Amino acid sequence: MANVQGQAAGVGAALATVASLPHADERCLVAEAQGGNRAAFEELVRRHDRDVLRLALNLMKRPEDARDVYQEAFLKVYRNLHRFRFECSFYTWLYRIVTNVCLDHLRRRQARPEDQAPELNSATHDEGISDFFERQREHRPTLDPERQLFGKEIQGRINAAMELLSPRERVVFEMKHYQGLKLRAIGDALGTTEETVKNSLFRATRKLRSQLGELR
Amino acid sequence: MSSRADLTRCADVAPLLVFYACDEVSAEERERIDTHLASCPACGKQLGEELSMQAAFAGTSQSADQLDPSGALLAQCRSELSELLDDLSAPPVREHWMPFGWVRQRMALRPVWSAAFLVLLGLAAGTQASLWFSSRDVGNASSAGIGQAMNIMAAPRLTDEDLSKMSIAGVNFASASDAAPGTLQLQVRTEQPLVVVGNVDDADVRRVLTYVVANGERFDPGVRLDCLDGLRERSGDVEVRRALLAAARKDQNPAVRMKALELLRDAAGDDAVRETLLEALQHDANPGVRVEAVNLLVRSLEGEMLDVPDVPGVPPASEAVSLPGDPSVGRVVRALEELQRHDPNRYVRLRSAAALRQIGPRDLQ
Repeated sequence: MANVQGQAAGVGAALATVASLPHADERCLVAEAQGGNRAAFEELVRRHDRDVLRLALNLMKRPEDARDVYQEAFLKVYRNLHRFRFECSFYTWLYRIVTNVCLDHLRRRQARPEDQAPELNSATHDEGISDFFERQREHRPTLDPERQLFGKEIQGRINAAMELLSPRERVVFEMKHYQGLKLRAIGDALGTTEETVKNSLFRATRKLRSQLGELR
Repeated sequence: MSSRADLTRCADVAPLLVFYACDEVSAEERERIDTHLASCPACGKQLGEELSMQAAFAGTSQSADQLDPSGALLAQCRSELSELLDDLSAPPVREHWMPFGWVRQRMALRPVWSAAFLVLLGLAAGTQASLWFSSRDVGNASSAGIGQAMNIMAAPRLTDEDLSKMSIAGVNFASASDAAPGTLQLQVRTEQPLVVVGNVDDADVRRVLTYVVANGERFDPGVRLDCLDGLRERSGDVEVRRALLAAARKDQNPAVRMKALELLRDAAGDDAVRETLLEALQHDANPGVRVEAVNLLVRSLEGEMLDVPDVPGVPPASEAVSLPGDPSVGRVVRALEELQRHDPNRYVRLRSAAALRQIGPRDLQ
């Protein structure tokens, strides 16, 4: 009887642990996951997978590629979690894995010309538009229907310009401007120095300005 | 891009404007850049462009918003990941013990070379196996002192009682097309109908044939003749010869007796056979049998004379007279002379006279 009570107490403690996972400290979650707690790992996934998928979608531009990146990255995390030594935040460690997976995919895609992103629709190239940045000033603050039209055009041009960046430059630019990460965090995620990330961001910005500046 | 640079010149400030716009410069750098921008319209314009570009990026919707606006892709990814984790968490299937795993792994990576290797291995194994088997057969044969194949007779199924009660419904010689040469099919009627199939070396076949030949009164003459034909290849066998002698002496049918004598042709020099021939010569009622006996006796005597080696001073075989030490020769000559004079059949008399001339002078008379 005492044994049965002990088992019931153990199950209750486990249920309590699972129920409290959403509020658990990330360090505790990682430690639990390292101990084989599947629920803890899934909680870690839920906390970060939205950002991971967003980064993958922004970088890969294709849902199927982003899905592959998502699965591959989290499987790597699952398999290598025991190697995590808390020398950096779990978020940084996770992003290091995600960005490496993205870089691999981008490099593979670059090596296959048929996998390049589709070209811009020529119908969007209006001859009357002369200055890209002027157009931004004109339409961004307004909410008229024209803004959506130009927004799509601008989006297409930015995407086309992004395709000209190297995989690393694209990742840095994406993490800086769309994920809002600081350069130091990007360096940690990419396993490189802040200076290297700065150089990548600088080159990316110049390339983009060069491409988008042709519209003047 | 170093904070230690002198940020009074445009060439030093311009590269930092990108980071200035996105708030990635130190406080010290920001202060110096602000000082420079206050007195430099060109750098101020460039900063404006940087800010406009960043604003453009921030103002445009991101790919993630367009590609997964409802979050369905995220849900799908979570579901797939959960399934993958289930697979990884499942206890590994314990593989059966498989030897040469590294060989299989290497072969799986090189299918063409592996296939070629297996073909060569099979050829080598087949060649070596055939050589080994042939050498082993030769070794067994030589160790047994046998240079050729042996016929091993199986134990007979028919008992003596079966033989004494049996009757033969038919003797069929199988053609070469559907059976091996010399194969016989004997339809035997005992208590139960029985079909004995085999060649003359089969125990049952030979026993039936021999019994029929030796006990001709119980069987049809046609069956007896067929059985004699069946025994033709083994007329030198002791049991067969005994049956042939019995048939030559006692069989009621002259065709059977004559065929029995014919089968004894190669053994005409044997005493028992010669005795039987003499008996047939003197007492057989059928002239054909008597002629056959004359022929076989003459042949046997000729054979014996041909076997005598040529000795200086001895006349050649064609001129030879007799074997003085063999009393049966004298009996043969006397029987022939008797036939020559008194046989009722003219052909027998003529054939006897010819035989006497053939075997030589009558100094034995």
